[in-house]
Amino acid sequence: MCNTQGDTPIRLKRRPIAQSIENLDQLMNLEKGRMSRDLFWDRDIYEQELERIFARCWLFVGHESQIPKAGDYVSTYLGEDNVLIVRQKDGSVKGFLNTCPHRGNKVCFADLGNARQFVCNYHGWAFGIDGALKGMHASETYEAAGMDKSEHGLHPVAHVDSYRGLIFATLDPEAPSLAEYLGDMRYYLDAVFNMDEGGTEFIGGCVKSVIQCNWKYASENFVGDILHAGWTHDSGAKAMVGGPVAEVHKTPEQSYHVNFNGHGWEFNQDIVGNCATLGEKDLLKYLYVLQPKVAERLGELRSKMIGAISSCTLFPNTSFLPGQNTFRTWHPRGPGQIELHTWTFVNKSAPQEIKDKWRKGTMMTFSPSGVFEMDDGENWEYSTRSNAGFVTRQQDLYLGLGHDTRVEDTDLPGNVFQGQINEANQRAFYQRWLDLMKADSWKTVPQRDVPKMKEGV
Amino acid sequence: MNAKTALPEIGVDAETQRRVEQFLYREARLLDNERWDDWLALMAEDIHYWMPTMENRRRADKNGTYAVDRGALYNDNLLDLTRRVTRFKQPTAWAEDPATRHAHVVAGIEVYQGEAPGEFIVHSTFVNYRSRVEKDNDLLVGRREDVLRAEGDSFRLARRKIIITQSVLMAKNLNTFL
Repeated sequence: MCNTQGDTPIRLKRRPIAQSIENLDQLMNLEKGRMSRDLFWDRDIYEQELERIFARCWLFVGHESQIPKAGDYVSTYLGEDNVLIVRQKDGSVKGFLNTCPHRGNKVCFADLGNARQFVCNYHGWAFGIDGALKGMHASETYEAAGMDKSEHGLHPVAHVDSYRGLIFATLDPEAPSLAEYLGDMRYYLDAVFNMDEGGTEFIGGCVKSVIQCNWKYASENFVGDILHAGWTHDSGAKAMVGGPVAEVHKTPEQSYHVNFNGHGWEFNQDIVGNCATLGEKDLLKYLYVLQPKVAERLGELRSKMIGAISSCTLFPNTSFLPGQNTFRTWHPRGPGQIELHTWTFVNKSAPQEIKDKWRKGTMMTFSPSGVFEMDDGENWEYSTRSNAGFVTRQQDLYLGLGHDTRVEDTDLPGNVFQGQINEANQRAFYQRWLDLMKADSWKTVPQRDVPKMKEGV
Repeated sequence: MNAKTALPEIGVDAETQRRVEQFLYREARLLDNERWDDWLALMAEDIHYWMPTMENRRRADKNGTYAVDRGALYNDNLLDLTRRVTRFKQPTAWAEDPATRHAHVVAGIEVYQGEAPGEFIVHSTFVNYRSRVEKDNDLLVGRREDVLRAEGDSFRLARRKIIITQSVLMAKNLNTFL
């Protein structure tokens, strides 16, 4: 569908939204903890996820520290849309579809770098770092055709914003603000990305791999599934620390599931439990020294989250592990494949040798060669692939742990549930998924969660 | 590519060449047969076992495709390697049971004198094919640059740099050594 003749070309066109898949409500009964496997296999559902989730939500695109100087860029994805995230001369950040408006070729083939301009290999269209079309090979031919260069810049993403160094972008002009989208999850994000006044940075570049699984298996694992660790990761724990994973199910009074707008964080208050799996005593020491200072700035609870046994997913497809300091995005590649991009984050002010130990620690534990991640991929691949079976795929899945664990009487932001062995966050994740899949626009996405934080805070 | 050795390429006698080749072929067989402890015994105490990840950067970008302080799948000392082997040996290493079938193919072995007496710089190419359960098949192809150190009538591996062709690892994991 082209722009109507005479209209000013729209810089980021969107087709009217496709009709929603019928009977979405029947895909899950969260009250009973039941869910259909179609979510993980169905091609039509996947195509609507691209439209209603990935082309609509705020998605993580990079860390401020990756692009400090004007012209610095990273190439990443919003769903399957390849975008360039570029630092501007005024210090702001812009995002563009990585495609030439002339014939559609990619304008940048590097993963990252510094550019004065992006030049398409096909006909030499050259774009400034602000996305404007500056010139091209044999430009007089276009002048003769009366082409107006100002109408043919790179297609900008709808919005770019950041929180505590984490840069997000959305392809939906009607999306709520990032602050509203993250909502009360910002309170908890501060425990990791604002534990130190200097903030965080990404180090060591990006490690990428492919897993043949549905993206939601990865996201829902990090949104709340510490339960799997004690079983799946027994071998990794024995390799790194010589013993089994801590039995967190025995101390539910110390731990929580919290969620907001489909984002979720499971955590306990052991300060260094995740970090301990890296097998580096200096990192524990670093966190223990830091903890009282964090308590002064952010209070006792959050100071105990800085490296505790915990995991978080920001809806839909970005996750991280406090203490192990892996940050990752699960880019969807069809219903049965993801491309995993991982980084290591550290406090900017940490000593170099501490940063180096975290860089090695993420490699040893949560990378394709890591002793923990090694067993995750296989679980998610076969949880996905078994649904090839026509009858198999008609059988429900169970996610009913932790009913009646809601903590009503609390000052903590978000929806709070007692005990980190729980599936409350997973249910909230899928509820948000369902809300977005059913809604024709952001205006009709129900606001289920009541924020305690002010939007601007 | 950065981090290239600047040493002149001074060849070795045919017997040394043969013994180095034999060492690498045997090493490959130990890995194929999951003889992890025997494989670890080939490592020098100060082993640096390094497999950086590849970044797509413009040729003009001075940062290069990889660097020792950037992404890596291995950037290991002996303790790190030992930890990985410890996982392989656990009965709860679920992704290793049933066993993965490995084939390490080593070719193009060039041997040159190293920096220190008794050390050798060894270049080789490899093809690694892994098969798991029914149809999980993963292919990795690359090039290695080793430093071997003569010890007794054999060698120890003191340094290995592994460069693979893929920038996005087309596999869910890397459950082998290369």
